Amino acid sequence: MAERFPVITGIGIVAAPGANLTEVWQAVANGACGLKPLSLFQSPRYGQVPVGEIRFDLRKLGAPLRGSRSDKMGWLAARDAIADAKLNISDYGDRAGVLLGCSVGGSFDSEQFLINLMKRGIMRPRPTRFHECVSAIETIADHFGLYGPSMGIATACSSGALAIAAAAEMIQTGEADVMLAGGTDSLSRTTWSGFHSLLLVDSQGCRPFDVTRGGMSFGEGAAVLVLENEETARKRGATIIARLTGWGASCDAHHATQPHPDGAGALAAMKAALHRANLPATAIDYVNAHGTGTRDNDLAEAKALKTLFGDKVPPFSSTKRIFGHALAASGALEAVVCIEALRRQQLPPNPGYFQPDPAIGLEPVTKLRPASLTHVMSNSFGFGGNNGTLIFSLPDTQPQTRPLETVPVAITGIGMTGPGKQTTREIEPPMPADKLTVHSCGQLDTTSLTPNQRRRLSRIIQMALLAARRCPPVSAGQRVAVALGTALGSLDEGSIVLENWIAKDEREPMPARFPGSVHNAAAAQIAIDLAVHGLNSAPTTGSVSFECALWQGMCQLAGNQAEFALVGAVDELNKYPLGVGKRWGFWSEQTKPGEGAVLAQISNEPKAATQLARVTAIRIGRYRRPFDAKREADWILAAASLKNGAALFSGSGGWAALDEHYQAVIKELSSRTGHAIEHRTYKQDCGEFGAASAFGFAAAIDWVRQTGRGALLYTLCPRGGKAVCCIEP
Amino acid sequence: MATSTTDLKSKIIESLNLQDITPEQIDDEAPLFGAGLGLDSIDALELVVMLEKNYGIVIKDIEEGRPAFRSVRTLADFIDARQVSS
Repeated sequence: MAERFPVITGIGIVAAPGANLTEVWQAVANGACGLKPLSLFQSPRYGQVPVGEIRFDLRKLGAPLRGSRSDKMGWLAARDAIADAKLNISDYGDRAGVLLGCSVGGSFDSEQFLINLMKRGIMRPRPTRFHECVSAIETIADHFGLYGPSMGIATACSSGALAIAAAAEMIQTGEADVMLAGGTDSLSRTTWSGFHSLLLVDSQGCRPFDVTRGGMSFGEGAAVLVLENEETARKRGATIIARLTGWGASCDAHHATQPHPDGAGALAAMKAALHRANLPATAIDYVNAHGTGTRDNDLAEAKALKTLFGDKVPPFSSTKRIFGHALAASGALEAVVCIEALRRQQLPPNPGYFQPDPAIGLEPVTKLRPASLTHVMSNSFGFGGNNGTLIFSLPDTQPQTRPLETVPVAITGIGMTGPGKQTTREIEPPMPADKLTVHSCGQLDTTSLTPNQRRRLSRIIQMALLAARRCPPVSAGQRVAVALGTALGSLDEGSIVLENWIAKDEREPMPARFPGSVHNAAAAQIAIDLAVHGLNSAPTTGSVSFECALWQGMCQLAGNQAEFALVGAVDELNKYPLGVGKRWGFWSEQTKPGEGAVLAQISNEPKAATQLARVTAIRIGRYRRPFDAKREADWILAAASLKNGAALFSGSGGWAALDEHYQAVIKELSSRTGHAIEHRTYKQDCGEFGAASAFGFAAAIDWVRQTGRGALLYTLCPRGGKAVCCIEP
Repeated sequence: MATSTTDLKSKIIESLNLQDITPEQIDDEAPLFGAGLGLDSIDALELVVMLEKNYGIVIKDIEEGRPAFRSVRTLADFIDARQVSS
């Protein structure tokens, strides 16, 4: 395969300092504080705390009527990025996709649903339709006609950076020629009160690296890059703005909310990015620091910079006081800052810094100034010690990025919590009283967990942790990546925090519970439990979240970033989707809600001592509407061979509307291959939920081991996503 | 009136969800964090919430509470000092 290099050909951005790139860069260049008191929602205790809120009307910019605030911001950034790249998406068919970091997702809008329910007794569930992080991806993919790989990543504050990294891997591995990549996150009451309860917010606005700094400031926004394969971009005559030459990820595996005090994870992420780019540290001309303004982050990051660069730390700055910390979007916003710095050959300033901190011993760039920049670096670190670093380079440099090609992997172990047993579940208040038949994992046996894990970790995290512990052990020092998909994340924890916020008007917050409400909390706790420091990701892509995790794990193995990867998915039963789903008629005799966790351990084959089976192919995409079984069969067969005797494991028996699609595809595949395809299902055993296809994966492995024949796991998401993976003896 | 340490221990147990521990098992002078009860920085934040809820003491910076969180005794003394001064 010819080498494929990701290049940037378009930028779209919308954030507190401006509605487009020109306005945003003006604010960055001025080093102006973009923070003002909160107006988006009522906050009795903290309303005067400055925040990077978008005060202009998203609708007037052309945002769609449907969707959450995050969806609309993401859509605007995507529209502008496509226009900037002068891209005609319809030329690309299945070769163009979208990959965004979203962590807050539709929370701001679904919070309104809960406020109405709790304060006024009114049930208006429509906003919850857009609650999932994947909603922004779907909004963009559906509107602009992107049928290539689509995926969301929810690793809190590093989501945007990890999403751009994963999109680059989609390009490198040849899954796509064009990827819209970035992040979007709106302000929300949940994150607002949560970070306040952790005493991490500076009431005067953040002052990164200043000795008097007192915490972070919130922000919101979206940024989307058009990433293209260089060769196809050149062929269409696109203007190449910059290259993405390096990316790296790591996990502190240290604490749910605090960074490793020595910045060990930050250092590992920067080193991984340099390794990928094949560049020495001395090549870096500027670092856009994560620089949140919390005491711990800035100190740890400075230590990591000094360890990596020695006494030659390049000019660096944090632009958080301009934007606020836009969580999952921040990595994308700051990627744009880096690309513009390269394009304009200017160093962006670090507003909020006045007095040096002797403990830091480094001074950021204080005023915009010209500089000769060839390679620049952007850091993003998140909750759970989840770190991502990107390296951007001038278009005319010769990239040395290490190539990447996914290869078959061995499945060396599998652990499960579930499938749940059928039982009747009461739906608790404030939802209207009701009951449903569900597949529940019931009371978990947590005797193997430590006392602190039992008292502190939420049920969904415990489900994932127990599943991970059932995989073969990994020894200290082994490089292990964790990718744990989830459609809805920690709904119990998130809703408890929010119910408490509403009932008590922001008093008596729940600092111990809030960190468990972020989507990547389970993946992070697995890393802490196993003391593993590789990529730590939480893909959120509806029903194909598991397949996205598998894909990420396979890329880590292919690039030799890890010797093992733990890949899986988890979702839990929660009264809100149960109650709202019942009202909307989702649940039926056939479609029963379920829950559970599956973790599979995968490894590069030569190293695997024992293997259950192999994964020989994986592909992620979106199907067209109306559903076209012929096209789908083409898509599947292009990814995986379907040998005589192979079985197809489908998600039939879940969402009823998808059953006929599965049937049509099987019929088409049978006629193409000339042999009958054995159709197998798994949802009768585990129920319907976002992570269900991980149980399908486990069932397929069992079948392959018993029969010695191959299996395809084919999954459709009711909201447009699809995935296929091929499992062979 | 001096804060009762027994009372305070019950409140700590409740706010930190220390399921298997009774007030009698906590020594007034023993360190709460690190080795002692194995508490961490997030527990400290829960104690901040507990202090506001039960004693009306608002802590805005965790550094402010750090010396007070050494043991049940130091915490009780901190509460007494704050309640006298307010």
